[in-house]
Amino acid sequence: MKRLAFIVLIVFFGFQVQAQKYLTKNGMISLYSKTPFETIEAQNNQVNCALDIKTSDFVFMVLMKSFEFKRALMQEHFNENYIESDKYPDARFKGKVTNLKSVDLKKEGIYPVTVEGDLTIHGITRHITNIGSFEIKGGTINGKSRFTLKVEDYGIKVPSAVTDKIAESIQIDVNVMLNPL
Amino acid sequence: MSRKRKYFFGTLGIIVLGVICVYWYINHPHPRYEKLRPDFTLTSKALFDEFKSNGKASALKYNGKMVEIKGTISKIEASDTLVTIVFAFSQGLFGDEGIRCAMLSKFNESTRLLKEGNTVDLKGLCQGYNETDVILEKCSLVK
Repeated sequence: MKRLAFIVLIVFFGFQVQAQKYLTKNGMISLYSKTPFETIEAQNNQVNCALDIKTSDFVFMVLMKSFEFKRALMQEHFNENYIESDKYPDARFKGKVTNLKSVDLKKEGIYPVTVEGDLTIHGITRHITNIGSFEIKGGTINGKSRFTLKVEDYGIKVPSAVTDKIAESIQIDVNVMLNPL
Repeated sequence: MSRKRKYFFGTLGIIVLGVICVYWYINHPHPRYEKLRPDFTLTSKALFDEFKSNGKASALKYNGKMVEIKGTISKIEASDTLVTIVFAFSQGLFGDEGIRCAMLSKFNESTRLLKEGNTVDLKGLCQGYNETDVILEKCSLVK
């Protein structure tokens, strides 16, 4: 009987550890480009993000059509001419938090994290490394990061007529509130 | 009015009209999504099943289109600014899988009054399938 209880406990706690995934389906990613001639901002608050604390796997899935621009024309150009969202409907990141062991998920606080992996935008995949932070509060993880991406690295062609309106590097802000699954 | 004056005011009128047209083209507002007619009308389950069985063909058919769906609410998620109606049909690696409908802010209050298990008819802009959910945005309640 004792052995059975032990096995049940092992299976139960083993399952608990394996099920330690944190996720959100309403993560936020925003784009920001500024030149002397034009400031472009867009926000997407339908971002899927999941973190597996057992494997340190960290994944993002972003539908490009969900980026909302203030001006409808900018949004049309972004989807039709630059990102070609009918052809490449999503952007994905698949990687790891390389220093997740240094984050104490049981202790509230802000921890610096490094994220490394493959980012696919516009059908082109590049290996990237970025830094950010995890804020542990009330059982949730608030992941934040700010970094820049070069438009040309992802094969996005900007017509010469508007090159002075779109920055070569776009600032990306990530803000995801991850809840335990 | 002399011929010179007529030409002057005629040219001025054309220039002003041109400037207004260019300004409107650059700054035209987003459509009033709640007023748009749906391109497709179907049940929430039928829409999800179509995306789940053939994502690429469904993306070509529905992405960027207004879709009206009818279904039973599984969950309503509400933050300060965003209210989302969820129709869940299966469980995956990351929890519920189904259709997530982000409401237009003007429908936030009326959506908050709805409850899990209510049948609802809504329309929204289909933005695609992210391998767990079909995303509808700019949603409005139809009934």
